[in-house]
Amino acid sequence: MPPRFDQARPFVTLGVVVAIWLLLPVVIKGGLRISFFELQAPVSVSASYLRDLQEYWGLRVHSKPELIAAGRDLARANAAFELASQQNTEFLAEIRRLENLLQVPAHTDYRFEHVRVVRRDFSGWWQRLIIRKGKNYGIPVGAPVVFTGGVVGRVVEVRAYTAVVELISSPNLRLAAVIEGDTRPMSFQGGLNPTFGPAKAVIEFVPLDIFASAAATRRLVTSGLGGVFPPGLTLGQVVKIEPSTDGLFKTGEVLLDPRLGELTEVTVLVPLNPS
Amino acid sequence: MRRPWLVIFLSLLLLWLLVTQLNHYLAVWRVYLFAGGLFVTYAALQLPLRSGLTASLLAGLLCDANSPVPPGTHLLLFAAAHAVVFHLRDRIPRDQTLTRVIIALLANLALFLVFSFVLIGLSPAPAVIWPRLIFDLVCSQVFIALVAPWFFALQTRALELAATGRRSRY
Repeated sequence: MPPRFDQARPFVTLGVVVAIWLLLPVVIKGGLRISFFELQAPVSVSASYLRDLQEYWGLRVHSKPELIAAGRDLARANAAFELASQQNTEFLAEIRRLENLLQVPAHTDYRFEHVRVVRRDFSGWWQRLIIRKGKNYGIPVGAPVVFTGGVVGRVVEVRAYTAVVELISSPNLRLAAVIEGDTRPMSFQGGLNPTFGPAKAVIEFVPLDIFASAAATRRLVTSGLGGVFPPGLTLGQVVKIEPSTDGLFKTGEVLLDPRLGELTEVTVLVPLNPS
Repeated sequence: MRRPWLVIFLSLLLLWLLVTQLNHYLAVWRVYLFAGGLFVTYAALQLPLRSGLTASLLAGLLCDANSPVPPGTHLLLFAAAHAVVFHLRDRIPRDQTLTRVIIALLANLALFLVFSFVLIGLSPAPAVIWPRLIFDLVCSQVFIALVAPWFFALQTRALELAATGRRSRY
C-alpha cells in the first residue's frame, strides 16, 4: 500500500462510514436505535432493582418505635385523604351532571399508573427519566407524568418494558401554561438547569398586566390546551417577569420543584378514552 | 483473536453502565458526566482500524439509542474522533498509560465542545447554559483522569483473557 494512502486510510474509512450512514434508510436507523436501547434495558432495569433492594435493607434498620410513629402518621394522612376522596366523588358527580346539562364534552379520564424510576439522565442538553413500565402496561407515547409536586413531564418513547419521560425542565419540552386564576395561555419551556440549584424554566407571551417577583411569586399551572396535560397541574412558581423586547408581551422565569431531581417514583396518567 | 471489537464493545457497555449510574446519583446536584473520549481512545490507539472502528461505532449506536439527539450524532462524532486518534497514533508513545489518558482527555474535550455547539440551539437561553456545561466538562475531565488508567488496564486484560481463552480451546 502506498504510504500516502496509508496516512489517509482512517479518513477514507470515515468518509465511507458517513456515506453509508447518510444513505441508510430511516427504518434501519430506527431499528438500530430500538435494538440498542433494548440491548441495555435489562442492565439498567436490573441496576434499578438492586437500588430498590438496597433501599429496602436500608429501611429494615429502622427501629420499631420509628415504624410505629410512621404508621400513626400514615393512618392520620389516610383518614384525611379518605375524606378528600369522598368529597372528590361528590364533585365528580356534580361535574358529570353539569356536563350533561350543558352538553359540553366530558373531561378525559385517566388511569393512574405508578412507576419506579430506572434512571435519571439530567444533562445540560436534555433532562429525561427512564421508567420501569412500557408497552407491557399499556403506557402510550405523549401520556402526562405527574408526582406530588405537580407535572414531571411527558412520555416521549415507549419500549417493551421501559419508557422515556421528557422532563418539564428539558429544553425540548414546550407546553401551554396559565397563571393560577387566569385563563390567558402563555408558552412554557424548560432548559435553565444550573448546577447545585433547582431547575428553572422560561415563560413567553405573558400578558402585560401580570406581575410577579421573588417576593410575590405566582403559581403557574397547566392550561389544559393541547389535550395532553389536564388543566390545573402545578408547573412551578413564577419568580420574575419582565417586558420582552417587542413590548407586546412579557417574559418570565419559573422556579421548578427541587424534588424533580430526586424522583424515585412517578405516576403516568394513561388516558382511558384516547380518542 | 478473531473478535477483539466484541471484547472492547463489552467493556464499553460496562463503562456506559457505570457512567449512567453515576449520572443517576449526580442528578440530585444537577451534575452530568460525559465520557465520550473514553469510548474511542483505547480502540483507536491499540486495535487495527477495522475492528477498532467497529467497537467505536457500536459504542456510538449505544449512546445514540439513549439520547434524544438526531440519529447518528454519537456514531459520527465517535467515528471522526477515532479517525483522528488513529491517524496520530504512530507519532505518539501509545503504550504509555499517561499518553492514553491525555489522548482520552483531549478527545473528550473535543467531543464535548462539538456536542454542545450542536445541541445548544435547543436551549431557550444558550448564554445562561454555558456555565453549567463548563462545570460538567470540568467534572467529566476529572472523572476521566481518575478512571482512565483503570479502564485501559481492564480493556488490556479483557483482550488478553479473550486471547488466552481462545488459545486454550485449540
